[in-house]
Amino acid sequence: MAVEQDKYILKVESLGVTYGNVVAVQDVGFNVLQGEIFGLLGPNGAGKTSTLSAIEGLIKFKTGIIMVDGQDAQTKPLFAKASMGVQLQSTSFQPELNVVQILQLFSGIYGVPKSKNEIKEILKEIKLEDAANKKFGQLSGGQQQRVSLVIATIHNPKLVLLDEPTTGLDPQSRRQLWERIEAIKDKGHAVLLTTHSMEEAEAVCDRIAIIDHGRVIAIDTPQALIDKHRDNPEVIAVSRRGKITLEDVFIGLTGTAVRD
Amino acid sequence: METTTIPKASAVFKTLFKADMATLLSNRRSAVISLLVPLIILVTWKAIVKYKGGPFVLATSIAIGLIAIGLMGYTLSVARDRDKGIFQRLRVAPVPTWAIMTSRICIQLIMIMVLTLAVFIVGYQYDRIELSLQGYLLTFCVAILGGAVYLSLGQLIVGLIKNFETINATTRITYFLFIMVGMVGDLSSFSPRIKQIIRYSPYGSVKMMLAASMEPAQWNNDTTLAVLVCVGYIIVFAGIGIQKFRWNAK
Repeated sequence: MAVEQDKYILKVESLGVTYGNVVAVQDVGFNVLQGEIFGLLGPNGAGKTSTLSAIEGLIKFKTGIIMVDGQDAQTKPLFAKASMGVQLQSTSFQPELNVVQILQLFSGIYGVPKSKNEIKEILKEIKLEDAANKKFGQLSGGQQQRVSLVIATIHNPKLVLLDEPTTGLDPQSRRQLWERIEAIKDKGHAVLLTTHSMEEAEAVCDRIAIIDHGRVIAIDTPQALIDKHRDNPEVIAVSRRGKITLEDVFIGLTGTAVRD
Repeated sequence: METTTIPKASAVFKTLFKADMATLLSNRRSAVISLLVPLIILVTWKAIVKYKGGPFVLATSIAIGLIAIGLMGYTLSVARDRDKGIFQRLRVAPVPTWAIMTSRICIQLIMIMVLTLAVFIVGYQYDRIELSLQGYLLTFCVAILGGAVYLSLGQLIVGLIKNFETINATTRITYFLFIMVGMVGDLSSFSPRIKQIIRYSPYGSVKMMLAASMEPAQWNNDTTLAVLVCVGYIIVFAGIGIQKFRWNAK
């Protein structure tokens, strides 16, 4: 599939999110292109989840515009939601439902109803055919993430949002998930993911935005960010092995203080 | 890549309803338990039928059952799903929020119908309480209105309280209070003022309405007032409950 590299699937402009008097996000802006994996990085409480929640339509934002596939997400929320597939940080489904029932539920609400046999085929593709009748809570962390990812892409959305998708996974499961995320990109989907893992950001993201104190402080490809900040004294000061890494740039730009 | 299409609200609702029904069937043990209390009342109060009449016993049983469904069924399931983030997962999909709640309310309405039928059958079989066809039909409709009172009370609780454990405790205490009012309120000699309060409480007015609907000839101004009071409860409880409701427990 030819990927139109200049087509924005997601456009965020001057986004502002507040909770009472607390400003969580201010003047955040970025675009995610078709066929691109875009990473949102930031320390705890930096505003990543608030930004993502605003895009997902879970919270109302105070200022700014979010355009999903050319449509305003605020005035056309159902179109925006139908255009995106979401994997939340802590995914939870009705504990009484088995995996087939969960997939039937989500394929139905995304308007692509699937039969039991079609779902079993999907489970076979992700090597979970034996889990069909298991409850979601009975699956391992890696299996849960695979099911969540299938649900996020079951309707072939233009934009896939992944909130810390590899948190808590072992290295094998993490690598496997990276491959699946790359496969999503190869099919022409745009992917926006948040992560705390610099390794992950470098391995899978085409571009990243570093967000801190509710603002985007840097945005570029991982390598370009390293090159750009290589001589920054704050980055050099936190470098541990002589060679500047993305983590050094991240800590250099966001500071060494531990965030809650 | 395909063009984005927004799924039809009716198809979304149908899917949600199917999943909620599957959840109810998986939880059939707790559904059966919520039906058991009114049936136990019906069976153990057999001797009271002679003194207070069949409609009194049937109305008490149905009212207690409706409270169990509204408070234990609806409220706790909504509180749990909110606490676990199940609603948030549904809300990031193209699902109108009304569809999420309406589907759940429909499930509870089915439970109300099952309860009413179970009380009618056990009442007839065990206590020999027989109503006219008109009485059965009217009671069936009134039970739905009465159920709506407790569903809206449940909505008020989940609207005002976010913490699951607090909701759990509140619903159990409320349920216990209603049972106490049901057991003691009618049988003891309270002062006229207390009796009046019990009479037009969410429990008393629903019970009054149910009892009158079983004997349509007995329908009077007090019953009409009870209907209006119930409608008032529904409007106030549901209004505040919906307005204050947050989809996220955090």
